[in-house]
Amino acid sequence: MQTLLHEVMAHLPMLAVLLPSLTAVVLLLLGDHGGDSHGGHGHHRLLWSRRIALASVLLGLLMAALLVQQAATGELTVYRVGDWPAPYGIVLVVDRLSAMMLLLTSLVAVPVLWYATGGWDSHGRHFHALFQFQLMGLNGAFVTGDLFNLFVFFEVLLIASYVLMVHGQGRVRFRVGLHYVVLNLVASALFLIGVALLYAKTGTLNFADLAVRVPGVTGPDAALLQAGALLLLVVFGFKAALAPLSMWLPATYAAASAPVAALFAIMTKVGVYGIIRLHGVVFGADAGPSVFLVAPLLLPLALATCVVGVLGALAAATLERLVAWLTVASVGTVLVAVGLFTDAAWGAALYYMANSTLVVAGMFLLAELVAAQRGDAAARLEPASPVSQPVLLGLMMLLAGASAAGLPPLPGFIGKLMLLEASSAHTWQLAVWTVVLGVGFLSLIGLARAGSILFWHVRDEVPGTAAGASPKLIGATTALLAATVAMSVFAAPISAYTAAAARQLVDRESYARAVLGPQGIQTNTTRPYRFAPAVPAAPAAAPVAQEAGR
Amino acid sequence: MISMEFLVASGIGFVVACGIYLLLRGRSFTVVLGLSLLGYAVNVFIFAMGRLWSGAPPILEGAGPFADPLPQALVLTAIVIGFATTGFVIELALRSHHENGTDQVDGIEPGEDGEDRDEAERGPGR
Amino acid sequence: MSPLALVVLLPLLLGTTLCFWAGRVDSPARRRLTALVAAAVTAAALGVLLWLAPRVFAGEVLLTQASWVPAIGLNANFRLDGLAWMFAALITGIGLLIVLYAAFYLHHDDPAGKFFGTLMLFMAAMLGIALSDNLILLLVFWELTSLSSFLLIGFWGRLEESRAGARQALAITGGGGLVMLAGIVVLGQIAGTFELSQMLGRGAEIQAHPMYPLALCLILVGCFTKSAQLPFHFWLPAAMAAPTPVSAYLHSATMVKAGLFMMMRLYPVLGGTALFQDIVASVGLLTMVFAAFVAVFKHDLKALLAYSTISHLGLITFLIGLSSPLSAVAAVFHILNHACFKAALFMSAGIVDHETGSRDMRRLGGLLAAMPVMGLLVMVAAAAMAGLPPFNGFISKEMMLHEAVHGGLWGSAGWLVPVLATLGGLFSAAYSLRLVHDTFFNGPAKDLPHPHPHEPPLGMKLPVMLLVLICIAVGLAPMLLAGPLVSVAASAVLGAPAPAFELALWHGLNLPLALSGVALLGGLAMYAGLKRGGRLHAYVSRAGGQQVFSGLTDGLFALAGRVAQALENGSLQRYAAWMVASAVALGAAPFLLGSGPAPGTGQRALLPAPALAVGIWLALLVIGVVLLRLHRRRFEATVLTGAVGLVASLTFVAFSAPDLAMTQLSVDVVSTVLLLMSLAVLPQFSPLESAQLRRWRDGALAVSGGGGIAWLSWLALTRDHDSISWYFLEKSVPAGGGSNAVNVILVDFRGYDTFGEITVLGIAGVGVLALLEGLRVRRPGADPQGRPWSFERQPLMLRMAARLVLPLALVVSAYIFWRGHGLPGGGFIAGLVTAVALVIQYMAIGQQQAEALLHGAGGRRFVRWIGAGLGMAWLTGIGAFFFGRPFLTSAHGHPVVPVLGELPLATAALFDLGVYVTVVGSTLLMLSVLGAASKGVQPAQARP
Repeated sequence: MQTLLHEVMAHLPMLAVLLPSLTAVVLLLLGDHGGDSHGGHGHHRLLWSRRIALASVLLGLLMAALLVQQAATGELTVYRVGDWPAPYGIVLVVDRLSAMMLLLTSLVAVPVLWYATGGWDSHGRHFHALFQFQLMGLNGAFVTGDLFNLFVFFEVLLIASYVLMVHGQGRVRFRVGLHYVVLNLVASALFLIGVALLYAKTGTLNFADLAVRVPGVTGPDAALLQAGALLLLVVFGFKAALAPLSMWLPATYAAASAPVAALFAIMTKVGVYGIIRLHGVVFGADAGPSVFLVAPLLLPLALATCVVGVLGALAAATLERLVAWLTVASVGTVLVAVGLFTDAAWGAALYYMANSTLVVAGMFLLAELVAAQRGDAAARLEPASPVSQPVLLGLMMLLAGASAAGLPPLPGFIGKLMLLEASSAHTWQLAVWTVVLGVGFLSLIGLARAGSILFWHVRDEVPGTAAGASPKLIGATTALLAATVAMSVFAAPISAYTAAAARQLVDRESYARAVLGPQGIQTNTTRPYRFAPAVPAAPAAAPVAQEAGR
Repeated sequence: MISMEFLVASGIGFVVACGIYLLLRGRSFTVVLGLSLLGYAVNVFIFAMGRLWSGAPPILEGAGPFADPLPQALVLTAIVIGFATTGFVIELALRSHHENGTDQVDGIEPGEDGEDRDEAERGPGR
Repeated sequence: MSPLALVVLLPLLLGTTLCFWAGRVDSPARRRLTALVAAAVTAAALGVLLWLAPRVFAGEVLLTQASWVPAIGLNANFRLDGLAWMFAALITGIGLLIVLYAAFYLHHDDPAGKFFGTLMLFMAAMLGIALSDNLILLLVFWELTSLSSFLLIGFWGRLEESRAGARQALAITGGGGLVMLAGIVVLGQIAGTFELSQMLGRGAEIQAHPMYPLALCLILVGCFTKSAQLPFHFWLPAAMAAPTPVSAYLHSATMVKAGLFMMMRLYPVLGGTALFQDIVASVGLLTMVFAAFVAVFKHDLKALLAYSTISHLGLITFLIGLSSPLSAVAAVFHILNHACFKAALFMSAGIVDHETGSRDMRRLGGLLAAMPVMGLLVMVAAAAMAGLPPFNGFISKEMMLHEAVHGGLWGSAGWLVPVLATLGGLFSAAYSLRLVHDTFFNGPAKDLPHPHPHEPPLGMKLPVMLLVLICIAVGLAPMLLAGPLVSVAASAVLGAPAPAFELALWHGLNLPLALSGVALLGGLAMYAGLKRGGRLHAYVSRAGGQQVFSGLTDGLFALAGRVAQALENGSLQRYAAWMVASAVALGAAPFLLGSGPAPGTGQRALLPAPALAVGIWLALLVIGVVLLRLHRRRFEATVLTGAVGLVASLTFVAFSAPDLAMTQLSVDVVSTVLLLMSLAVLPQFSPLESAQLRRWRDGALAVSGGGGIAWLSWLALTRDHDSISWYFLEKSVPAGGGSNAVNVILVDFRGYDTFGEITVLGIAGVGVLALLEGLRVRRPGADPQGRPWSFERQPLMLRMAARLVLPLALVVSAYIFWRGHGLPGGGFIAGLVTAVALVIQYMAIGQQQAEALLHGAGGRRFVRWIGAGLGMAWLTGIGAFFFGRPFLTSAHGHPVVPVLGELPLATAALFDLGVYVTVVGSTLLMLSVLGAASKGVQPAQARP
């Protein structure tokens, strides 16, 4: 038992990917309801799929929590897939950031899946398998320490998201889904070009090794390298909905079915994650000629994103679109903090990111709950029949809105306050303060308008929906909102964790040592690749040989 | 004299240009063609980042020279993923055409105004 | 639990939850219970305060500390000194009366739980403001008042003006709170702390700091918005849409006083400077005069009281601004007095409304006969408001005038100050007079909704009586009743012992007395003048701040709409163009803007191009050009695209990448088949629709993009590179057990990539199944050229060929599979070959049979294959766990088997088998689902 537990702990980073993958495989072999979700074998298969999937995500949550606990001690967990040493093989690296992202993913996944079992999962084929594949992709992207492997898992989570996007079908979903897929395919092409360029100039794909090599690329060649990195900024920026590449998001998220949209709340954060890892760390401080490569670009674009996002929110005609635009604004805020390139600001960024993900996810679910009770008006921001659970939904809306608008003492406020304090004495301080506070003010106005229309401006003559939402749906939504409240109650430990995560990120030295081994930094992992390279120089081979202890 | 490097570089560029142009057309099928062109070019590009080697396949028999195997492996992965996504997107285009009654990428035939679209925009699937 | 925290937490947790719980069912009993709960909680809080009173009056400052979020300096630290105590007592004391009043006021279809619950929330927030020692914490409660007042004002949300008023209040006060947040952060950075207790002593040091003016202005904006000073006053009248108890509470004792409280609280830190004096005193004075003037012309009782409130807030602000010890005393005293008479008046207005159904003074009148007691009460309260002796309002107004005379504001224009102050007094006398006269005299009433008003129930009248009594008592014995409280509060404001002061009705004949005499007579005259000929009643008020505000917000929403529409126009072409453009721009940036020289052609030895290569290159150009010309003819375009793929695989052949060549080729075949099959149910031609300009733009993007990539490749190709690849060359055979380095990388060194890759493929297969679920389109029998689309049974020859091909292909793929580890090949290519063979079969044996064969059970068969393949790969990988090795660690041996010779038998091979199965499964799934989706031979009817 003890040894088994020890085994499990040893493989934990890998299991974060393998668990959802296994679950998905099992669900595929089990088969889905195949259309008939009421009675018959199909129905039984559906029930079993639900049980298996829920059990799996709960287990995933547990493992993520364990990983966070492990990472909180400050140690980096490095896992050599295939037992090949970095940078030659692929390694998984779990530091505070990765662990946190895993936990965040699980925290979103569990309630969202619970919500989906309320009926959405039967509106199409293989929902549960695809959901698990999506999680596999997300987790894989968060734990990998290899750039190309990051691409592969981006593709896993993307293609799963393509299918989930159109889950439930309907013409709008198909049209918007097509946009989403096509744009993402362009992004994938750019991703490959960027990776190839980085390889062409550094000869390696491992993040730690890249961080070691990038400073060495000097002279005219640096331009090639930087071109690659900047192309990757386009890719990650697109995923994170950084202006001007944010326009795809509102329609996509608004069109997706509620649980899918809620799950997608984490997707934009994958882009942010990529930016932090690559442009924040590898091309961050002491990156030689490429030091702070994207700094002059990221901050202004992020500020623009905030503004665009909140203006879109004000203009939104439906609650879903309002939430979708607020997602853009929140990502903008996160990237503003990232763009400040200080570990204080990064701590704020991570804290704010965690909260905004939960809030947005909750609001997407809430939007559907509200819409379901307003008859034909659905989530349109116009007078309609009163909702059947005004107090309950109203309070949820109030809570979510206040958190999204950054009203105290909710985490949105705490995060923004951290950001304000971190940005003081920065040359862009005035702009940052104006935008962050201004965006808060405008979101407040927009949300107050939406709320007062949805819950107050009712027309009793219009027939409404008598039935209230099922406890399951309410429970799932409440769980997400409760999580944000918890984030403010336990703000002290959480913000301490994010701050530590930020400090750990900028410590390239120990990251490289942990991944490449003690002398990995000194020994040159790459060698000139010329004609007849088969017989390598003896001295350089020695450390590698004993590195690959097999 | 013309070098292989020149041919490859210019070839990649040319195909990318064609791909981008088709990608920016207004019909889903054409867009898909553009994407697959882009895919071909990108694959060759990755491959080329291992530089060009003639008569040196990385089959480790005898003494080299051997072409850089890593980019080749990456390209193989890229090809498979590209295949999967192409397969998916074309069938999505097909479905979208069927549902929206047009294969114009925005679901609006030119001339037709976006009214019904805005209608549809609001209540997805409900 | 410290008593201070208790005062706040009682209503915050207990009050809200209990009230919601008690009021969740609607019955008279429940309504009474709810009110009772609210009253009890309030009384409890008040009780705690009274219990602490002796220590506070002894000059003690009570502090409690609890850390919350040290990272941002937010701590749950509370503080109770004279000022805090006075406010807390006001909040709870008046609160108690309000609860009592509301219990009778609320209509039976107003949800009591919601009302009292929100009221408790608001009360808690106010108490929090009063008791916070930590400024961030104070701000937390500050915004909480904005939020809860939003709910209270919008209590009757069905009415347009309630919604508008609520949103306006939230926008102004909430927004002001955000500005104040900025100010507080600046202040915190100056002082190095957010704790008042560590800040109060250090006024001089903080005021010397260069950032002091900024902090001051930002914080003052917050205070002015909350206390409805010019130019932010207009939200307060709009908030009158709230139920009267709410108005009485928010606008007499609590919400609007928060701004004043903040100014007093921070007075030792920020106050006393010339800047502070000029801004605060001037704003206060102007607000006082302006609002008092406007009030005279309001016909609605509550509107008149609202403007009078603004005016009195201005008066207090003015006193604070004068920053003399005595003015502080006066300010504190007037806060108390105003709370009393204004609360009484609001409640009375509510009673009048309740009894007559109208608040319009043009309709009201002569009510004295109907409700003499109320008339008397209102007269006393109004007299206090007007500053008539012997009531409390008179005393504080006298003090104000005295300060105005000796304030020394505005230097040379100083004489203007007392004049304006007197003017303010004059107007307030006028509107007070009007309030009484128009309501209780000047009868009879005209067409009242309830024609027979009478005295209200005692429960409603009692609070008013109590407050009026206080007004009288304090007026008669000010020193005795108010003196100690005023003194202890004032010393807290000043941060120093309050000066000796004398609260009395009679200060002897002096200028202030004369001025107030002038004010009273002037007020009388003014009202009389306006009254004559009913001019006052005929007056219709014009647009004010409210209209300006709503105009602004409407403009904002309109602007947002335009911006959003302009940016997010739902056009894929636009988004894609932006993406390409940004990629080009960013890709080019390092070369154009980069420091140092832009790189040029490198030194690497170039390979000479044989004629064949040049030929292929030319062919590619031709293909591309033709493709661009013909791209709207889809069949041709598809074939040409396939041809480009062919060139790609030739490139791989030419540069020693046999695996890539084979893979690319087979992928090319399959995807072309896919495209053609889908073309069967898509239009055959694209219309020419993009405008000339659009095509030029796209052309430019294409050229720049292509050119950029070409240049990048050229730069890379002409340079040598370093790489980690040497490791793979070294280890493949000894450690990987295969001589095909590429394949070993795929299944071993980077097997994890492959694991992800086949997952993608599997998802794609399943995805296609999910995507085309329920799709049945009618496929045209033939395309316009008459090429048949349907896969009818083919001629015997082909069928035979196919029959032969299948087993052959299977053998071939098996061979490819096995040799993969050593020579070009491997699971993926083998899988595709099998799939292709099956596709040929599919074409040969005809649609119906093929479906029977392939589209088994709604594609479920192939889904199972995919699952099996992925599972196989998964298990292979996991196998290593049992040897204590990480995922996908491979083991291998080389058993020699007869006939086949030496077999490289690596676990990697098992993994590769998983790849093979997955590939076959998803490829066939894609094809068969597509085939099954397109049945029939009628021409496709695009839905209108």
